[in-house]
Amino acid sequence: MEVTDVVCPLCGCVCDDVVVEVEDNKVTKVKGACAVGKSKLMGHGRITSPAIRENGVLKDCSYDEAIKRAAEILAAARRPLMYGWSSTVCEASKVGIELAEEIGAVIDNTASVCHGPSVLAIQDVGLPSCTLGEVKNRADLVIYWGANPAAAHGNHMKRYSYISKGYFLPEGKKEKKLAVVDVRETKSAKLADVFIRIEPGKDYLVLSALRALLLGYDDVVPEEVGGVSKKDLLELVQMMKETKFGIIFFGMGVTHSRGRHNNIVNAIQVTRAAHKHTKFNIMPMRGHYNVNGFNQVCTWETGFPFSVDLSEGYAWYNPGETSSTDLLMRGECDAALFIATDPGAHFPGESIRHLSKIPVIQIDPYANPTTEFADVVIPAAISGIEAEGTVYRMDNIPLRLRKMIETEYMTDEAIMKGILKETRLLTLSRRL
Amino acid sequence: MQTIRLKLKEEVTGRNARIPVDASLLTPDKLFGKRESEIKAVNVWWGNRKENTGELFDVSVEGEAGSAEEVKIVMDGDLSRVKHIGEGMKAGEIEANGDVDMHCGAMMAGGRITVKRNADCWAGREMRGGELVIEGDAGDNLCAMYRGEMTGMTGGKVVVGGNAGECVGQYMAGGEIQIKRNADILAGLNMKGGKITIEGNAVMPGADMTGGEITVKGKVQDMIPSFKFVETTTVEGEEYKKYLGDLAMTEKKAKGMLYVR
Amino acid sequence: MAIELLIKNGVVYDPINGVNGEKKDICIRDGKVVAEVKNPTVLDAKGRVVMPGGVDVHAHIAGGKVNSGRLLRPEDGRRGIEPKTTACRACSGYSVPNTFATGYRYAKMGYTFVMEPAMPPLAARHTHEELIDTPILDNATIPLIDNNWMTMDYVKSGDIDLLAAYIAWIIKATKGYGVKIVNPGGTEAWAWGKNCDLNDAVPHFDVTPAEIIKALAEANEKFEMPHSIHVHGNMLGHPGNYERTVETYDLVKGVKATKDRPVMHATHTQFFAYGGTTWGDFESKAKAIADYVNNNEHVSIDLGSVILGDTTTMTADGPMEYSLYQITGRKWTNHDVELETGSGITPFLYSGKVSVHTIQWAIGMELALLVKDPWKVALTTDHPNAGPFIGYPILISMLMSKKRRDESAADMHSAIYKRAELPSIDRELDLYEIAIITRAGTAKILGLDAHGKGHLGLGADADVAIYDITPEEQDAGKIQKAFLNTKYTIKGGQVVVMDGEVVAAPPGRTFFVTPECDPKLTEEMMPNLKEKFEKYYSVTFANYPVQDAYVPNPYEIKAPMRG
Repeated sequence: MEVTDVVCPLCGCVCDDVVVEVEDNKVTKVKGACAVGKSKLMGHGRITSPAIRENGVLKDCSYDEAIKRAAEILAAARRPLMYGWSSTVCEASKVGIELAEEIGAVIDNTASVCHGPSVLAIQDVGLPSCTLGEVKNRADLVIYWGANPAAAHGNHMKRYSYISKGYFLPEGKKEKKLAVVDVRETKSAKLADVFIRIEPGKDYLVLSALRALLLGYDDVVPEEVGGVSKKDLLELVQMMKETKFGIIFFGMGVTHSRGRHNNIVNAIQVTRAAHKHTKFNIMPMRGHYNVNGFNQVCTWETGFPFSVDLSEGYAWYNPGETSSTDLLMRGECDAALFIATDPGAHFPGESIRHLSKIPVIQIDPYANPTTEFADVVIPAAISGIEAEGTVYRMDNIPLRLRKMIETEYMTDEAIMKGILKETRLLTLSRRL
Repeated sequence: MQTIRLKLKEEVTGRNARIPVDASLLTPDKLFGKRESEIKAVNVWWGNRKENTGELFDVSVEGEAGSAEEVKIVMDGDLSRVKHIGEGMKAGEIEANGDVDMHCGAMMAGGRITVKRNADCWAGREMRGGELVIEGDAGDNLCAMYRGEMTGMTGGKVVVGGNAGECVGQYMAGGEIQIKRNADILAGLNMKGGKITIEGNAVMPGADMTGGEITVKGKVQDMIPSFKFVETTTVEGEEYKKYLGDLAMTEKKAKGMLYVR
Repeated sequence: MAIELLIKNGVVYDPINGVNGEKKDICIRDGKVVAEVKNPTVLDAKGRVVMPGGVDVHAHIAGGKVNSGRLLRPEDGRRGIEPKTTACRACSGYSVPNTFATGYRYAKMGYTFVMEPAMPPLAARHTHEELIDTPILDNATIPLIDNNWMTMDYVKSGDIDLLAAYIAWIIKATKGYGVKIVNPGGTEAWAWGKNCDLNDAVPHFDVTPAEIIKALAEANEKFEMPHSIHVHGNMLGHPGNYERTVETYDLVKGVKATKDRPVMHATHTQFFAYGGTTWGDFESKAKAIADYVNNNEHVSIDLGSVILGDTTTMTADGPMEYSLYQITGRKWTNHDVELETGSGITPFLYSGKVSVHTIQWAIGMELALLVKDPWKVALTTDHPNAGPFIGYPILISMLMSKKRRDESAADMHSAIYKRAELPSIDRELDLYEIAIITRAGTAKILGLDAHGKGHLGLGADADVAIYDITPEEQDAGKIQKAFLNTKYTIKGGQVVVMDGEVVAAPPGRTFFVTPECDPKLTEEMMPNLKEKFEKYYSVTFANYPVQDAYVPNPYEIKAPMRG
């Protein structure tokens, strides 16, 4: 059976024109996805059964037993953390937020270790942006800053930006310019009309200089800023002034170098300054397919996008204090639930050391380094293949993932509902 | 004068998990007029549950106070997971004998807080008045705004005996901050008013400032490229270069003054 | 067993049924108003004011733009923090409350229906996801259809039938309620950093905003739509725009309505009633607008009245938000949506010390007081643009009390005495008129009176607000307090608010319209639409329409095509 218009559950591009062949309830062929997306859709090693760790060894159990054990851990905890949510659907996140409220947990998603700084920056200055189709139809200048889509977002240039054809740019890249700013010459940089190489950690300075130049204060800017000559900066500024519609896509090269979210504030300030001359937008290159979706749901449900501390019954938001890695490095948490994520592979060593001291619940389709130390392991259906639900693309467009394959695995949403129900029974008896 | 001694019990933070205690209710104004037994019964958040202060702290009270001004709270024990010490306090004194956790002196309007060692991030956040002395180092966002706000500290005085972290006095609009040693990146970011003095070194100070005054007595690394040199001037017998900025905010708004050696 | 309620001894204001302050009992069974009950739970209303549940004709409460506003402003979030309770989820936000707070706070004011008036079609799922999470309130949402390339194609070719086929398709695809227009042509122009006035050509599309408005009004009237076109015109917020506003109203004067209602609803009119040439000589032209509305029957308006204080402005009118941010220098978010629309967001402080804000504050109320027939006017603040909905009770108390208006004006900028009409207006609205502009009239404007909203006649939805004042109450402060927190709010026959506290939070229903287009026209329109998807949209045709899962509690209104 051929399934068309499949929505790819891999990266923030959320390509929705993938074609998948399904035979005998298995994906046998994938067309139109990038290599990484294809590999995800084809599937790989799964956790086979729910399990609970006893005397250091994971022992298989039923879903009911695992869910009950998870509920016991969370209901007993004084400072539980619930983290992940970026590779699952919004429907699961909603239940997760309700559970976090019920048990007074901190709820956080992977944004706190990737584009959290971008969100903080938006909260300082806002975000002049657009949907990806706007870029495709109008953008004659595309700037990737600290981002390497050729490696991380396989279809981004082809579907949405430099290489795509659009209404006002029917000839595609012939009519467009591509600039790349990075600390090294990436694969994407090799395609660029202009590549500006900056010294590591100097993004902030370069961005301030660009603002001054866009505003016409050429005289104050020194001859070299952050390893870039004033001449090169002026050339980029000229390109920005001449474009009809420009866009900056930025990646973790800027969010995670010195200055972090303030680099993004400054990059947004560049687009604000560019509006004196033309239309200019900016967009973060979000990583996981639904990292944005969790931020959206968490914002409309709690008022805040991630790192939300519900311990006192209301939402307290303060990344740096209430973000997962900070909480774990400070040793604050006494229990943790991880869903659709792998802190075992991505968190700093100090956080992992703390996790080894406290009970950990893992919900995931796949075994990963977190499984090695999790106390309760609950396998889940794969969203976008075995389960449907809502995801938000990097440009805030909501799409619905499809279910193509029948499965015995419970969905993330169903697992969370089970834990919520069991936890309510426990907290209710505690109150009584 | 009255002295209230609060010593955090060892078992509170000595466990596997070091769960923070919210001390925002334990200020001179809020404890004034309470007897020892009443102080012990004040319900404070410890993680997601409330506990009596007496369960978490050894409490003792000496002397009498006629007003909150006459109350001094002395905090002992491992305070590195006690947050919001002196938050919102209007009068009286707090002495913290150890490292304190985040938000110490946040939204403080009056009185005095002395931290004998280091203070974690957000000390003096949105401070309006009073005096905050941190004898050790201060973390990031000292005297800054809360997320999304456009006003940080508006009044009062803060002295840091050691180093300060990133973004000292972000969106500061008034008051005075003195850092005895070095400040990390972006001190005085978005500053609108008030005065920051850094006796040691600073990195990228004054970015996006539209008012106020920053003086760096040590070295400046990575000067923001959108500041305009005005003149060489003498302050307290030392020669300084005076800059106006930040022009990246447009020339009309660039009313911040940055003095560097 | 039937669930029955009896509201005894209340003084009822039910304008649709001509009930003006009569002592009257209301019987409720299974969520509807009935003639009698057998074994009811009795609520004693003891001489208190009883009205149908409030119906808000225009408030931005859900969707991508609202959520971007929340995300932009954690500082607003912390201004409305409330911990969870047994009945309620945790709340946050003042001008951009979270969805839960939105539902609870409206219910506490006695409102039971809210129209989200600006859904970007491409992000329709988002709006619906938030509406699902907005408790208590019944709701509907109107897709933006005026800057769409499809729309402009048919306006240019003059093919109203195919335009009708397109609007039918997109209203169905988005589970929408009608046709929303926001700065027609101007938002498309803003994609290039430009704007459009009413008779300018839209860049690259060779149509004018005036043509777009007229064509959409005609297309809308091809169906028996419950609501007219819902219009935010060109040049919102610009000094001297009132002439353009009147010209916009006049565009559709000759269009014939398929139902007994106007053919245009002009929204947040305060922002369109400006005289002067600059902010310096800015003045109220509310009287000119009111005169037009008084002399014509084809237009209804809502106020967009200002609530003083800090708020978050947000609209699909991207260029307007950019101008506003240019004035304040505050944070600014913009989000253009391919082939369809855009949006802008920036915080704004309305201060009674500033002449322009003071005049704006006056204009909203002037419109309410100068339009003679209250059925043509709806009370709104264009939440959160002119102020958050939580300010309605202030507004109600002002409209009911000249004394209160005078006292407030005395503390404000003196421009109010020179360049506004308000101080010279003596009219005070009574409770009957308040009931019209907050529920009966708004329900009629939206065509919801035929679907059980806005009245308490037999068969109506048992949505009832019981306010803790008697009809004789003169004290504006007490009136304000009563309208902020009801004694009881009943939604669908269930008590949801008691003594100002939310006691139950059932889910609301989503009302949507299905325009029944001639399949031949749909077929003829389809190749053009599909080409747009194949070449220019960044999502596929198949993934565009909103699935049924996003409207779990649907109420469908069919709109047959006129023969």
